[in-house]
Amino acid sequence: MNFVVPDFYPAAAEIFVAVMALVIMLAGAFARSVRWLAYTLTQLTLVGAALITIFVPSVDVSYTFSGMFVSDLFGNVLKLLIYLAVGVALLYGRGYLADRRMERPEYYLLAVLMTLGMMVMVSANHLLTLYIGLEMMSLALYGMTAFDRDSVRSTEAAMKYFVLGALASGLLLYGMSMIYGATGALDFVSIKDALYFQTANKTVLLFGLVFLMAGIAFKLGVVPFHMWVPDVYQGAPTAVTLLIASAPKLAAFAMTMRLLVFALFELAEQWQAMLMFLAVLSIILGNLAAIAQSNIKRMLAYSGISHMGFMLLGLVAGVVSGETHNAITAYSAAMFYAVAYVLMSLASFGMVLLLARAGFEAEEIDDFKGLNKRSPWFAAMMMIVMFSMAGIPFFIGFFAKLAVLQSVVAAGYVWLAVLAVVMSVIGAFYYLRVVKVMYFDAPADDAPIHAPAEMRVMMSVNGLSIAALGLMPQGLTYLCWIALLASLT
Amino acid sequence: MLESYFPVLVFILVGLGFGIVPILLGRLVAPWRPDSEKLSPYECGFEAFEDARMKFDVRYYLIAILFILFDLEIAFLFPWATVFQDFIAAGEHAWFVFGAVMVFLAVLVIGYIVEWKNGALDWE
Amino acid sequence: MDFKTFVFYFLGAILVFAALRVITARNPVHAALYLVLAFFTAGGVWLLLHAEFLAIVLVMVYVGAVMVLFLFVVMMLDINVERLRQGFWSYLPVGALIGILLVVEMTIVLGGRYFGLEVMPEPPAMAEGYSNTRALGMVLYTEYVYPFELASLVLLVAMIVAVTLTLRKRKGTKYINPDDQVAVKREGRVELVKMPAEKE
Repeated sequence: MNFVVPDFYPAAAEIFVAVMALVIMLAGAFARSVRWLAYTLTQLTLVGAALITIFVPSVDVSYTFSGMFVSDLFGNVLKLLIYLAVGVALLYGRGYLADRRMERPEYYLLAVLMTLGMMVMVSANHLLTLYIGLEMMSLALYGMTAFDRDSVRSTEAAMKYFVLGALASGLLLYGMSMIYGATGALDFVSIKDALYFQTANKTVLLFGLVFLMAGIAFKLGVVPFHMWVPDVYQGAPTAVTLLIASAPKLAAFAMTMRLLVFALFELAEQWQAMLMFLAVLSIILGNLAAIAQSNIKRMLAYSGISHMGFMLLGLVAGVVSGETHNAITAYSAAMFYAVAYVLMSLASFGMVLLLARAGFEAEEIDDFKGLNKRSPWFAAMMMIVMFSMAGIPFFIGFFAKLAVLQSVVAAGYVWLAVLAVVMSVIGAFYYLRVVKVMYFDAPADDAPIHAPAEMRVMMSVNGLSIAALGLMPQGLTYLCWIALLASLT
Repeated sequence: MLESYFPVLVFILVGLGFGIVPILLGRLVAPWRPDSEKLSPYECGFEAFEDARMKFDVRYYLIAILFILFDLEIAFLFPWATVFQDFIAAGEHAWFVFGAVMVFLAVLVIGYIVEWKNGALDWE
Repeated sequence: MDFKTFVFYFLGAILVFAALRVITARNPVHAALYLVLAFFTAGGVWLLLHAEFLAIVLVMVYVGAVMVLFLFVVMMLDINVERLRQGFWSYLPVGALIGILLVVEMTIVLGGRYFGLEVMPEPPAMAEGYSNTRALGMVLYTEYVYPFELASLVLLVAMIVAVTLTLRKRKGTKYINPDDQVAVKREGRVELVKMPAEKE
C-alpha cells in the first residue's frame, strides 16, 4: 500500500469551520440562555475562515487527501464570497428570526454546516467529495426551510424541496456512476485524462452526462428543473429564502464548473448544447412568469431563474468549434454574473426582511407601496437593486449581462444574444413596476421602518456596492479572470 | 468463496419453512367454517370502539431516526474492526487510522451529548 | 444453469415481485413490509456479487433501521389511501410514457452493446481469503479519510435537523425530575413557624 499521510494545510479553513461547528453546537446546548452567543460565534467563524483562506493556502494549485481536495485561486475566491454572503444573510435575518421566536442556536449551527458543505463543494476534486459537500449543504437547507415548524407553508415548502432535491441527488449520483463506469476514475484529474486519451466509452459517458446535467440544473434551479424554486422561496421563512438565494448559487456555480469544465472539458461541445437549451428556456420562462407575480418573493424567485439562465450563457460560449481561446473570458463572465447576482439577491431579499416586522411579512409587491414617503433612503437602495437586476446601465447587473453577451457574440451565437436582450427588456418591466409602486403610489401602511442599526448600515453598504461596482467593475472582472486563469491552466 | 454462505441459505430456507408450513398445515388440517360473527373484530365482547390503527407519537420517530444515525455510524466502523490489526501489523499508519476513527467518533459523540442535553432522549 | 445462476434468478424473481407489490399494495403497511422483502433479496443478490459488506449493511441499516422508521411514519401519518389514488388514472398516461421512454433509453445504452459479456472483461478471480470488508477498510480510513470524516458531519446535520424539527416540550405534563426529587432536603419542604399560643 502506497498511502502517504495527507497534508492538512490546504484544507485548514474547512477544518477550522468543522471544529467551530462543534464548538457552536456545544455552546448552544450548554449556554442556551446566552442569546447572542451562537450568532457571534458564527460570525467569528466566518471571519476566521476568511482570514485562513486568505493567508494559509498557497496561490498555486495544490491537491491533498489523495487528490480529493484541491486548493486553487478559483476555489478560494468563491469561498471568500461565500463567507461574505452567508455572513450578510445571517446579519439581515437576525431581527426577522428574533421577531418570530425562531432565533435558536440550531439555526446558526445549520448555517455553519451549510457553509462547510459549500466549501467542500467548491474545492472538491472528486465526485464523492463533491456529492458529500452537496448533501451537507442541501440537508442543512431542507432543515432550515422547515425551521418555522408550526407553519404549514414552511413545512410544505421544505417537503417539496426535500423530495425534489433527493430526486435530483439521485439523478446526479446515477450520472456519476455512469461516468465512473466509462472512465474508471472518480477524481476529476483522472477523468480528464481518461477523456483526453479517449479510453472512455463515449456513449455511456454521454448517457451519464445527461443525468449529471439534470442534477446540476436542479441545484441551479433552471428550467425545466425549476419547479421547486418559487414554492420554496415563497414558503420558507424570508431569512432562509435569503440564505437559499445567495451563497448556494455560488456553490452551485462552482459545482457546475468543477464537473463540466474541470472534469468533462473534452465533452464541452455536448454539454454546451444542453446548457444552451436550459439557458434559453430559463431566460424566457423566468422573465415571463415573473411578470404575473404579485408576491415579491415569488417574483424574485422567477427572476432568479432567469438570472441563472443568463449565467449559463457564459458557460455556453467557452468552446467554439474546437477552439478554446475564448474559454477563460467566457467562464469568467459567468463567474462575474454569479457574484453580481448574489450581491443583488442579498440586497433584494434583505429589503423584504427590512420591511418585515413582528406579525407582518412584507412579501407582497403592494407592501412596497409608497416606500419613498416612508424612507427615501431605502427606497433609493431598492431602486438601485431593481435597476441593477433589470440590467440598466451603470449598475453591476448591467456589466454582468454585458460581459456574458460579449462572450456569447464572440462565440458566434448572435441570435442567442438578441434573444437574451429582448427577454431582459421584457424582464425590465417587472423590476420597474416595483420602482413605480415605491415612488408613485400612496403608502398602504405608515408604520415606521424599525430595523437594527447594523442591518441599516449593511443594507446601505450592500446597495451602494452594487452602484459602486457598476461604476468600477474592472477590479471584480479582473479577479474572476485571474482566478480562472490561475486554476484552469 | 460463496460456498461458505451455503449454510446461511439453508438456514433461510428452513426458517421460511418454519414460518409457512404450520400455517399451511393449519389451513389444511384444522376445520375451517367461518361465519360473520367469527370474522368480525371484537373488543372484550363489545363492538369495536375505535380503529385498531392508532397514531403513533411523533417521539417514536425521533428515537427511530437517532437509531438510524448511530446504526450508520456502526456501519462505518465495521470495516475498521476487520483491518485495524493489519495496520498495526504493518506498523504503518496505525495511529493515523486510529486518529481518523476517533475523530469520526468524537463528532458523533458530541452530537450525542448535545442531543442528550437538549432533552431529545427524555420521555417526560 | 449452475446453482449460483439458479439462486440469482430465484432472488431476482422475488425482488421484482416484492418491488411491484410495494407500489401496488393497497395497504401502506403491507407496502412497507414488501419493501423489507425487496431489500432483503437485494442483499442476497449483492452477496452473490461478492459484495458482502454492502449486503450486510443493506440488511442492517435498511431492513433493521430505515424500515422501522418507515413503518412508524406510515402509522403516524394515518394516510388516506383513497385520496392518494385519486390522481392515479389521470397521471398514468404521462407517467407511463416517461417511464417507457426511460426504459428504452436505458436498454439502448446499458444493453449488451456496451455492457455485454463480450465487452466487459471477466473480473479477475479473488485471491484466497479475499474479503470485501477488508478491502474497503484498507482505503476507507486512509485514502478516503476526507469523505469519511465529512460523512460524520453529514450525520451530525441529520441529527440536528431531526432534533430541531421534531422535539417538542409538551405542556402540562406531570413529569417529575427524579434528580430534583432525590435532592429534596427537609428544609425545602417543611417550615416550622414559631407563634405564640393563642387564647380563645
